[in-house]
Amino acid sequence: MVFGISFMEYAWLIPLFPVIAFVVVGFFGNKFKEGGGAIAIGSAVIAFALSALVAYEFFTGSGDAFAPEPFKWLAFGKYELNFGIYIDSLTCIMMLFASFISLLIFIYSIGYMHGEGKRKRRYYAEIALFLAGMLGLVLSSNYFEMFIFWEIMGVCSYLLIGFWAFRHPEGDEASVKAASAAKKAFLVTRLGDVCFMAGLFVLLWAFTSLDFTVLFDPANMATVDTGVIMLGALLLFGGVIGKSAQFPLQDWLPDAMAGPTTVSALIHAATMVKAGVYLVARSYPLFIQSAEVMLVVALIGGITAFIAATMALNNMNLKRVLAYSTISQLGYMILALGAGGYIIATEMAHGDVEATVGYTAGVFHMMNHAFFKALLFMCAGSVIHAVGTEDMRRMGGLSKKMRITSLTMLIGCLSIAGFPFLSGFWSKDMILEAVMEPSSLGLEGQIFMLLFVLALITAFMTAFYMFRLWFLTFKGKPRDASIHCHGESPKSMTMPLMILSVFAVGSGFLIFLGLNDIITFSVISGDFVVGGHGHTPGHILDAILTNVWTYVSLAVALIGILLAYLIYARGSLDPSRLTASGKSRLYRFLAARYFFPQLYDQISWKLGYSVAKGVDYVDKNMIDGTVNGLANSVVGSSGSLRKMQTGNVRDYLMYMAVGLISAVIVLYVLVTTGGL
Amino acid sequence: MDLFNDIPFMVLLLLVPLMGAVFAAFTHRNRNNAKWVAIIFSAVTLALTMVYAYVMATATVPYLDADSWTWIDTDYIVISFSLYVDGMSLLMMALTALLVLVVSIFSSSESNSANTFFALILAMEVGLMGVYMAHDYFLFYIFWEVTLIPMYFLISGWGGPRRHYAAIKFFIYTHVASLVMLIAIFAMATEAAAGGPLNFGFDEVKLALAGMDTFMQAALFGMLFLGFAAKMPLVPFHTWLPDAHVEAPTAGSVLLAGVMLKMGSYGIIRVCLDVFPEGAKAWQSAMIVIALVAIIYGAYACIAQNDLKKMVAFSSISHMGMVLLGIATLSSIGVSFAIFQMFAHGLITAVLFMVCGLVGHNAGTREISLLGGLAGKMPIFAAFMMFGFLASLGLPGLVGFVAEFGIIYSFFEYLQGTEYLWAVMFALASLLLTAGYYLWAMQRSIFGRETDKIDLSHVHDVSKPEGISMGIVCALIALFGLMPGIVMKVIETVQIAGVV
Repeated sequence: MVFGISFMEYAWLIPLFPVIAFVVVGFFGNKFKEGGGAIAIGSAVIAFALSALVAYEFFTGSGDAFAPEPFKWLAFGKYELNFGIYIDSLTCIMMLFASFISLLIFIYSIGYMHGEGKRKRRYYAEIALFLAGMLGLVLSSNYFEMFIFWEIMGVCSYLLIGFWAFRHPEGDEASVKAASAAKKAFLVTRLGDVCFMAGLFVLLWAFTSLDFTVLFDPANMATVDTGVIMLGALLLFGGVIGKSAQFPLQDWLPDAMAGPTTVSALIHAATMVKAGVYLVARSYPLFIQSAEVMLVVALIGGITAFIAATMALNNMNLKRVLAYSTISQLGYMILALGAGGYIIATEMAHGDVEATVGYTAGVFHMMNHAFFKALLFMCAGSVIHAVGTEDMRRMGGLSKKMRITSLTMLIGCLSIAGFPFLSGFWSKDMILEAVMEPSSLGLEGQIFMLLFVLALITAFMTAFYMFRLWFLTFKGKPRDASIHCHGESPKSMTMPLMILSVFAVGSGFLIFLGLNDIITFSVISGDFVVGGHGHTPGHILDAILTNVWTYVSLAVALIGILLAYLIYARGSLDPSRLTASGKSRLYRFLAARYFFPQLYDQISWKLGYSVAKGVDYVDKNMIDGTVNGLANSVVGSSGSLRKMQTGNVRDYLMYMAVGLISAVIVLYVLVTTGGL
Repeated sequence: MDLFNDIPFMVLLLLVPLMGAVFAAFTHRNRNNAKWVAIIFSAVTLALTMVYAYVMATATVPYLDADSWTWIDTDYIVISFSLYVDGMSLLMMALTALLVLVVSIFSSSESNSANTFFALILAMEVGLMGVYMAHDYFLFYIFWEVTLIPMYFLISGWGGPRRHYAAIKFFIYTHVASLVMLIAIFAMATEAAAGGPLNFGFDEVKLALAGMDTFMQAALFGMLFLGFAAKMPLVPFHTWLPDAHVEAPTAGSVLLAGVMLKMGSYGIIRVCLDVFPEGAKAWQSAMIVIALVAIIYGAYACIAQNDLKKMVAFSSISHMGMVLLGIATLSSIGVSFAIFQMFAHGLITAVLFMVCGLVGHNAGTREISLLGGLAGKMPIFAAFMMFGFLASLGLPGLVGFVAEFGIIYSFFEYLQGTEYLWAVMFALASLLLTAGYYLWAMQRSIFGRETDKIDLSHVHDVSKPEGISMGIVCALIALFGLMPGIVMKVIETVQIAGVV
């Protein structure tokens, strides 16, 4: 209770305000200044304030999940689909950072989207709906409700990635690209969504409900075959692979850079891709029923983290590098969740399982990543705003003209690279520790060993490509004289950068200030418990600082930074020697994103268009051909009747009238004379 | 309210549009009075339907009403003017009343023999209302044929360049199918009469045929099914539909796809399932296969189309396949959501055909390859198109999603007892294909480079009547998508024999 009001009862208002903003701005935005931007910001402020109140109330309360009686949305047969709220500590953390970062992005948009004219209305309406989708998703009390918000976010991303799908300020080519990128994002994630939907079917059939309170009840779980839960969990994870851009559906995210940079920040930091990670964390009770599922999760995460990082190594587009880094970091989170879950799954048979590092690390990294990735994207946006290009080859030496942007971006880069005591450092080391943990377990242990090595190499690559990006952009001499830098961005843009950089430095310390107790998952006498039972801060600090791997990963990261410095700032190493001036096979393979775009194209072309052409041929020539042939043969054999087809409506009308009248007469005669 | 209880709603719902049709026909052909007649009479019909729905909802036995007058009564044959309304009828009637009003508003700028045009639309409404209320096979058949005639004239009189071919094809195709149906009806009545007078009443026939052997049930089921399948239409009896749609005027297309196709699925549920439960079981596997073929085949055909309207026509085939899939599970969930899908598809497809009509009228062509970047010139049009397409691809929060979710779930549940669980993948794959063709069509027509293949200098955006009519339907799509419980409450009451 705060001010004598139970705000948790009113938590459903949190997504409602952005929805209202969506409707108001969507219909009447142009009547307000800046296309209704203030309304969108206002809704985010309210959402954040309410989230904070709800979170405060929750954390001062008993710590049990709050799930009031839901609204009965649709009943059919023995099933009931509900709408409700479900609040536990995971919900609180998610809605706090989602609404806070969205708020900063909304404020930043005022400066960034200033020149968009009448289109701003559409922009602010859509980002408000996007936020509503994310907040609704994290507050959902069942999978069906979650799926609805999940899809709403999908369509928002479609609309926003395609924001410039027509009349792009940079010309037609860019419009075409944006339209194609939007379609790709929707279709690829839709593939995952269809899996998600199949997962809903399996779970609904098994549990006759999709409410978390029913599904996560060990008593109900015992009545369902483990294989069915496993299938359901894997199908749900299919949705995660699509939404969180995991291997092999990762390729939509780099293309999604076609939208405004603020949209990228929103998608990568606060909403959309985080929804997938959240789904895994939320579904932990189901996922840990089978160690195999968790192994799959960890494998997908590890592979994704690694391959996405390799793709970032030689890309020259500022935003794309950040996109690959998001995919890679998401892979980290999934990997941590998988490794932690694997331990729980294998240990659950022996009774209680105290919180594993994996779950904490995954959620912790999701939060930290939200801060530094939002910061990085908005810095990138600030740079693009000033120089008008995304190509790093045409930048250079910008730190003198954009002091705030370059400094805040440096903080972001240090944080993501895992520089000591910045937020990324803590969570990344926890992830590495989490992956190391199950590596002593038999044959699968060796797989985790391999994943650990991959994660370590990824840490090196992350440090390298992030600093490659920073040095290329801000250091050295301007490489393109035709590029004119407008100088530092306006206050509405730099303010959020400065606020976020505070978090990019400091959010990691939250793990010592209570967060360790909030984001945990344990199994206590058969019950699944979120929150509580965390390790003490001292224990965490001890574990990180006395672990030899911490220093190895630190060394690896520092080497990465140093390498980037030597190549791109000092110029004492020539990268073209390593890559044969961009002609080496590996270089081209990475630049072509492992040929994933071609693979997608081929699949959609072969399975989509080619089959469609075949169906069209069958339809035109075989089915319709038969029909017309039949008709022609009838008409042909009765040449005299053909003359009736004058094509004149009046004649047809007459024939019909004659026919109708004679039919009535015949019927009348039959009935009255008793012929029938 | 007792105030309404004595109103003979069923008869009025036939008489009001009929009077409207007559009035409209007698207005001057070159003055635009006919549209007002059509709008007023269809608005009155809609209002009556709504009041009727309210009366039925509050009745002691909710959503059930029947009335009957003897029409022909001899020793040999008994035909009664028998009307019956339950939840399914009511939904279809509401849809009919709504869409007739909407197309009357949408087509208000029609100037080519406007009196006949609007008279035909109102005449269609009479036929459609009759089909959904008839409770006597003879009457049912008469109304069934009555719907055919105005549609034929709408296509051949106000259609595109190949309208005569399309109209004749439409007429012959569906007429042959209804003849098969007529034979089946006579066979049913004869069988039920067992030597006594032929009685065509729904209830009488059902009662008399209750103990019929499975073979006869399956045979009659098959004949009726054929008649209804051509109307829905199901692959391979569908080829009249794309042609009819491509040539038909927008108003005709909306009514054709929105409510006329539903006559087929309505017939399957009302007659085939209810009277021949054993026959339905015999045909169950075949129906499922036909449904899946229609869903996938229709979706693939959409991808290949270059004419937006033809694409939307094929999407109807795919979505009506969904309806059959729900029916084919023979479960109450499946049939409920099939009815839901009939309603949802009626609303969504209306928007789709209005959008296609608009682009054809305003941009001068519907060929996707000639379009491009229209969103810049016609932003409101683009918004409606996007809304309609997203609704049709099953976006959650809109009405189509609820129906598809329920139907595929009922299919999934049905498959649980069998070894064919993988078959659900076909239904799920269609969701992906549907998203594919819609998004691809949008990418090429409203996004990307602004086309220079057609003259865009005089293109104007949505006019006021067009915007109002599409806005009404879009609002309902969102309303019933967010609160599907309203519709489900009506559907729940429907009682069909042979459904578990």
